[in-house]
Amino acid sequence: MQLTKKSSIRPAVAAMTAALLGAGTVPAADRGKLETSLLLYSEVDRVRALEGIVGFERAIWGDRLLNVRLTYDGLTGASPNGATPAGRFQTFTRPSGNGSYSAKPGAIPLDDTFRDTRFSIDAGLAQPLGRLTQLSVGAHFSSEHDYSSIGLNAGVTRDLFRKNTTLGVSAAYTHDVVSPVGGAPIPMSAHVGHADDEEEPHEHEDDDDEGEGTGPGKGKDVFDVVLSMSQVLDRMTIVRLNYSFSHSSGYLNDPYKLLSVIQGNGATDPGEPVGYLYESRPSVRNKHALFAGLRRYLWGNTVDLSYRFFWDDWGMTSHTAELFYRQQLGGGHFLQPHFRIYNQTSADFYYWYLVDGQTLPQYASADYRLADFNAYTIGLQYGIPFGELGHLTLGGEYYMQLGKRGPPNAIGVLRDFDLFPDMKVFMIRLGFSYDL
Amino acid sequence: MRSRLRFAILGLCSAVLMLSASGCATMGVEAWERDILAKPEMQSSNEALDRSLDDHIYFSKEASSGGRSFGGGGCGCN
Repeated sequence: MQLTKKSSIRPAVAAMTAALLGAGTVPAADRGKLETSLLLYSEVDRVRALEGIVGFERAIWGDRLLNVRLTYDGLTGASPNGATPAGRFQTFTRPSGNGSYSAKPGAIPLDDTFRDTRFSIDAGLAQPLGRLTQLSVGAHFSSEHDYSSIGLNAGVTRDLFRKNTTLGVSAAYTHDVVSPVGGAPIPMSAHVGHADDEEEPHEHEDDDDEGEGTGPGKGKDVFDVVLSMSQVLDRMTIVRLNYSFSHSSGYLNDPYKLLSVIQGNGATDPGEPVGYLYESRPSVRNKHALFAGLRRYLWGNTVDLSYRFFWDDWGMTSHTAELFYRQQLGGGHFLQPHFRIYNQTSADFYYWYLVDGQTLPQYASADYRLADFNAYTIGLQYGIPFGELGHLTLGGEYYMQLGKRGPPNAIGVLRDFDLFPDMKVFMIRLGFSYDL
Repeated sequence: MRSRLRFAILGLCSAVLMLSASGCATMGVEAWERDILAKPEMQSSNEALDRSLDDHIYFSKEASSGGRSFGGGGCGCN
């Protein structure tokens, strides 16, 4: 009887995992699992974050499996506002309209008022239908002071060919509401800021915008579909192929990002800003990704290699290659190095800056995340067994973004500055899991 | 762009169907040969929490998302 019960729960766990990951069916814990994770995230001179997750899986009502995950993020620090460096001090009004922040000559302007907390809850229920098919449904809610999100998802997987092949399809709908501090700016409208030879005294040195009055909400709807296939190749190898599609519509701007409008060649001070505009993005985005992963048992160790090709209708493409190698050290201890290489091309409407006097484009953004850049991650994780059913992990990662210095035909003083805000991030992770 | 999308979807579907129809039926292992595949380190679910943390970080710092899982929203990340 016990064996029967266990075998009927395994597919339920697998279905839930598959629904969450868009992956093929894989067995996990027999009865359930408790997982926690703590992440310390620190960008050099910018954002710092602390994220904690508690996840819980448990068989309920016979062969159904309930999954609940709680997440808490606390973030603080500075984020590039999209404006270019200048030869003078630049002063920007804070999003709330209270006070200002400045950038020194030659420095990338950073909005230092970034402070937020985010709470999210995800819950799911998986149900096997017979021996080969699994259904799952889930819901999501998250909230931060200027952003909230609610979503539903559902998925089905089907095992074929002696369970060596698993096909899956899952879908999700998410409705997000952005309520920017100070209200959502009109795209391409002027932001109050200016450049001076001397720094302007801050009106509220310790001000931050958390809790400041948020404006009317702007909605965003996201539909996701993931088609997945996993295939056992031999006793030691399994491959996964996924295709994901995501359709977003509504308010897709970042309300806090700006573009500099600079003086053109022939002006008094070429490259110096004459003003700042709020960004403008299309209201629809269609994203596609093809993912291929291979997991191979190799002389007692495990190699996990994956590749993703991404493209969207904003003109962006990216390539991501990732490698995990788990080296077993004996007694349940392991060491896992991790490498990731990422490259993306810029969006069609990405501009380093706009030039005064030229016709304004319909869409424009100087958000570095829409620029052409490479990113690299290197990490190492150490695993320690905890009793017979649990394990602890401790890991560290270093993430780096490197972009072009600027356009080849940069104007005036901007030729002297690095316009891409290169980023370096240190991460420390602590994890604990226990099979129930 | 639409023709590119159609091409990608058709390509993937064709590949899946061909694999399913020909190769997959003969690939793989018998139930009694799953000793290694059943090891925790061979399960992608074993690291689901870590990978979802990764996806959240990269979602907030890069323009790409999805592939491994849903690419959707849920965060006003800066």
